[in-house]
Amino acid sequence: MADERASDQSVESSLATRLARRFPAGSLAVRNLSRQRLRAGLAMLGIVIGVFAVITLGMLGTALQTAALAELGGLGNQVIISPDDGEENLGPREVQAIRQAAAGGGTVIPLNSGGASVSGPNGQSFAQLYGTTQPAALFGVDNVPDTLRQGVAVGDELAAGLGARVGSAVEIEGNRYRVLAIIDSEGTFSPIRPGSAVVLPPDEFVADDYAQVVVQADSADDARAIADGVRERLNTRQERVSVLSLTSVLSRITEFFALLNGFLLAVAGISLVVAGVSIFNVMLMTVSERRGEIGVLRAVGVHRDEVLRTLLVESTLLGVVGGALGAILGTAVVVGVALGTRLPLSAVLVPTNGLVVLGAFGFGMLIALGGGLYPAYRAAWEPPVESLRG
Amino acid sequence: MNDGDGHGSPPLRLDGITKQYDGGGGTVTALDDVDFTVERGEVTAIMGPSGSGKSTMLNMLGLLDDPTTGSVELLGERVAALSARERTDVRRKRVGFVFQDFHLIPTLSAVENVRLPTRFLDADYTDRAVDLLGRVGLADRLRHTPDELSGGQKQRVAIARSLINEPDVLLADEPTGNLDRDTGEAVLGEIQTIADAGVGVVAVTHDSLVGEYADRTVELVDGVLDG
Repeated sequence: MADERASDQSVESSLATRLARRFPAGSLAVRNLSRQRLRAGLAMLGIVIGVFAVITLGMLGTALQTAALAELGGLGNQVIISPDDGEENLGPREVQAIRQAAAGGGTVIPLNSGGASVSGPNGQSFAQLYGTTQPAALFGVDNVPDTLRQGVAVGDELAAGLGARVGSAVEIEGNRYRVLAIIDSEGTFSPIRPGSAVVLPPDEFVADDYAQVVVQADSADDARAIADGVRERLNTRQERVSVLSLTSVLSRITEFFALLNGFLLAVAGISLVVAGVSIFNVMLMTVSERRGEIGVLRAVGVHRDEVLRTLLVESTLLGVVGGALGAILGTAVVVGVALGTRLPLSAVLVPTNGLVVLGAFGFGMLIALGGGLYPAYRAAWEPPVESLRG
Repeated sequence: MNDGDGHGSPPLRLDGITKQYDGGGGTVTALDDVDFTVERGEVTAIMGPSGSGKSTMLNMLGLLDDPTTGSVELLGERVAALSARERTDVRRKRVGFVFQDFHLIPTLSAVENVRLPTRFLDADYTDRAVDLLGRVGLADRLRHTPDELSGGQKQRVAIARSLINEPDVLLADEPTGNLDRDTGEAVLGEIQTIADAGVGVVAVTHDSLVGEYADRTVELVDGVLDG
C-alpha cells in the first residue's frame, strides 16, 4: 500500500521532485524564501530598483552618447580646407597636396560651389550649389548616386520648397536638370549644409578651381593627421589655406559623455549596494530565526558547506529574480523613452547597452550573493549544540 | 540491523567523560567522570531532574559536543581524532536523533522531512522514507506538512527521520515530553520495535513511562551517573 502511494506521488509531481533531487540546495532555498514572502519580496525589491536604476541610467547615457556622436560624427571626421583670406580658390597643386596628406586615411572630395536661383515644379528659391563627382562620399546618405551625370541631387528642405521629387525637373540658370536623388539632411551635422543645396556634376561649373576641399576621414585620428599633414604641406611658408577640423572638440564631447555616464552609473551602483545591505540584514534575520532548524540539519549529518550552499542559493536567488525583473523593467522603460521621444531606437539597441544589461544583472546577483555570505557562514559554522539550544 | 559492523564492539561508549562549562559563577561540572556503554538491541533510559546533565550526555553520545576530559568511542575507535566533516559523516551514517520538540522543517512534507538527512546524497531515499512512515502508521500523511499533523504524528515523523540512515544508535531527547500518555505509549512501542531490530536506543527523560519500556534505567544526578 505504501509503495502504491509512493508511485502515485512520484508520478504526480515528478518534475518538481526530480528538480528537488537534482538541486537539493536550490529546492530548500526556494521553500525557505516562500516562507517569508513579504520579507523576501522587499529584499528583492531593493535589487529590482538598483538594477533598474543602473540599466535605465546606463542605457540612456549610452543612447544619448550614441545619438549625439551619430549626429556629430561627420563633423569629427571631416577636414574642410578652404582658401585663406586673400587667396582666390584651390588649384590643382593644392588638391594634389591634400590628396597626398589624405592618402590611405580618407576620401578627398573637391567641391565647386556657388549660388543660383533654382526653380522647380512648385516654386523658386535661391540655393547653394555644390559641384562634386562624389556626392555619396560627402553626403553619406544611401540615396545619393555615386556620380551625377546630367542630373542633380537636391537637399530635402529645398526639394520640399520647390515641390521637387526624384524624377522631376529643376531649372538652374536656364538649364534643366533631372532630380536623381533627394539628400536626407536629417542626422548629418557638417559645415556643408546639404538641406538647402543642389549638388551638380562639377562640369556644370565654369571655374576649374575649387572653392573648398572636404576630406572625409576614416576616423577621428585620421582626420587629425590629415589636418596636420595639409597644414605642413601648404602652410609652411605662408598661410595659403585654412584648415577646419573639429576633432578635438568632438573628443572633448566624448570625454564629457564618458564622465557623465560613469557618474550616473556610480550613483545607480550605490543603490545596488544599499540593496545588498538589506539582503544582508534579511539573511541575518532569517538565519537567526532558523537557528534551531540549521542545528537539526547539522545534527542529522548535513555538512557545513551544504548548509552554506543552501543559504547562499537563497540570497543569490533574490539577486537573480530581482535582477531579471529590474533588467526587464529597465529595458522596457528605456525603449519606451526612445519610442516616445526623438531619441532613435537604434541608439538604444547598441552592443554597449547589452553589456550594460548583463553587467547590471551580474552586479545585482553578486551583491545579493555577497550580502548572504557572512550570515550563511555564521549559521553554517555555528556548532550544532549551540544552534539547537537557540 | 547492522549486526556485522564494528567487530562486535559496542556502537558507542563514553569512557570517564567529564564536561565543564565556564559559567558566570565559576566552573560548572555538567558531567562528572561518566562511564556509559550503548548496547545493541537495548533501550536505555537516562533519568534525572532538569539540569542534571542529561542533554549534555546525549550531545556527547551524538558527537555534537566534546568532553573536557575522557573519551568517546565509536565502534571501538576514539572520535576525538575525527575532523568536523568526519563527525558529520558519522552522524549521517550511524546516529539517529529524535529531538524533544520534534524539530521538523515546517516547509517540508512528512516524506521530505524523513529523508532530510539524505537530501544532499546522490541516492534517492524517498521510497525508504515512505516505507518508514508506513511503519510508524503515517502512510496516509505522506504529503502533510508539520502544521497539519498532531503532536504524536510529528513525533512519529521525527522517529521515521531518525531511522532513514539505518542507524546503529538512536538518541532520543524526551521522546514523550510533548505527548499525552496514550500517544507516548504508542511512540515508546515504536522505539521498542526499533531496539528489537538491533539498534542501541538511548532516551533521556524525566518521564517514568519511558522507564517502564526501557531494558535498563540509569539515573543522572548533578552530572554523576548512578546505576
